[in-house]
Amino acid sequence: MKRRNILCVLACGLATMPVIAQTTTTAPPAGRLLASNCFQCHGTNGRGGVENIAGKSASEIVKELKEMQQKSPPKMMDMHARGYTDAEIELLANYLATLR
Amino acid sequence: MIDRRNFIKWAGVSGIAFSSAGWSLLAHADTKTASSTTTATAAVPTNTGIKGRVVVIGGGMGGATVAKYLRLWGGTGVDVTLIERDSAYTSNIMSNLVLNGSRTIGSLQYGYGNLSSRYGVKVVKGEVLTIDPVGRKVALAGGASYAYDRLVIAPGVDFDILPGLETAAAQAKVPHAWKAGAQTTALHNMITAMPNGGVFVMSIPAKPYRCPPGPYERACIVADWLKTNRPGSKVIVLDANPGITAEVNAFTDAFNVVHAGVIEYHPGVSIASVDATTMTVNTSIGNIRGNVLNLIPPHRASKVISANGLTNTADGRWTAVNVLSYESTTAPGIHVVGDASATTQPKAGHIANQEAKVCADAILRLLSGRAPDPSPHTNSACYSPITATTASWLTANFRYDATTATMVPVPASSGEAAARSSKNFEEMGKWFTALMGDTFA
Repeated sequence: MKRRNILCVLACGLATMPVIAQTTTTAPPAGRLLASNCFQCHGTNGRGGVENIAGKSASEIVKELKEMQQKSPPKMMDMHARGYTDAEIELLANYLATLR
Repeated sequence: MIDRRNFIKWAGVSGIAFSSAGWSLLAHADTKTASSTTTATAAVPTNTGIKGRVVVIGGGMGGATVAKYLRLWGGTGVDVTLIERDSAYTSNIMSNLVLNGSRTIGSLQYGYGNLSSRYGVKVVKGEVLTIDPVGRKVALAGGASYAYDRLVIAPGVDFDILPGLETAAAQAKVPHAWKAGAQTTALHNMITAMPNGGVFVMSIPAKPYRCPPGPYERACIVADWLKTNRPGSKVIVLDANPGITAEVNAFTDAFNVVHAGVIEYHPGVSIASVDATTMTVNTSIGNIRGNVLNLIPPHRASKVISANGLTNTADGRWTAVNVLSYESTTAPGIHVVGDASATTQPKAGHIANQEAKVCADAILRLLSGRAPDPSPHTNSACYSPITATTASWLTANFRYDATTATMVPVPASSGEAAARSSKNFEEMGKWFTALMGDTFA
């Protein structure tokens, strides 16, 4: 292939690429943004704050949140726990469990 | 004049980020912050592959959080510059406790040294003059210029000037103290100078305003102090809203039972003018005179928003944003988080922190050629002192609704404490320390 043709192929290829495309990054971990709702009270990455939640297993976190959803009258965290669906609880618990 | 490249070079050569007297004071503030928080240092990753330049204007609850999480999640390839005009942030949260002398303004100040040393945020002390949304540059007073791929503005609010309070002298006599700082201390001094049987008059603007329960909390704190220390005094609350806007049960109980005979609550009151000489408020229910006037004016997004043509709501006060990313609906590449944006969420520090995380996550995805998370979730939580030793609380979760493109409250998770308690008051201190740690440490 001659040099001119190579340039043409490159130019044509570039023209079809999205302007902001950058494909060398990996997608953010699932559940990270959702789990960050915990960090205002439980510390950045679940460490510190009112109670350390980093280091707990996913099943432990799921169990605790589901118990809180049933407590009455609800304390602040019990009421907060009511804001998440089962799927959301699984998602954030799985992410928090990676922060051991 | 110093351009961005030369600024970085200068900062690097100097060995420390800043050397002015102001930044020395800041280092002191950081020491206090670090010792009062328990958040562990989190490493900034080097291998995300994400690259870009983000400038953040404003180092409050939203701005500090977005700067921190852009680096924490985005890594070293994301160049983050935080521009802030003050040496330290003074927390509005807890500042009502300065009024009864249980806190000082100094105890509520948080510096930016942790953002710089732990997360590699470039902190610049300066005043933004202009934003060039086409050239994607921010110019500071003094000539420095910062180019960006994405700009985040988190400037908080400014206040209308009530008729009669046009002069600085009149404003000094009638402080709003709704941005914590010198006015808060001044208001504390005015309260302690009240005579027995004195009258404290305060007003609450129509929604939306910063910290929905805050004014009612203030009425309680002041009433509680006066009851003990200035017997026979009254707190007159003039609310522009048709009723209590937050923690209705807690504050109804506080006004009618706990502080009965001290607090007089008047909903649906508008203010026509104020006479700072006679200390009289001309209102829709007549002229009201007080020993202390504490009138909180209607709010609008801070001037950096309006001066750069970034207000885009019908009332001309706020920036409407896409709540998937907090990008302005009219200014591409410019994101507005916290109190200055118009969303269905309250204007408050705890939720500004979460809005900032949604914004940081979205910017990192956008810099990677990805779309923002399609289903963000945010939460609001706060405690409100009812007396010097008891508090109530309020919490709400918000979930993105694709039909309306807004954040909607999750009803089951929205509510208030069953009753005020000393346990709540104790938990309030822990919550505050944790929140400030997630934001500044």
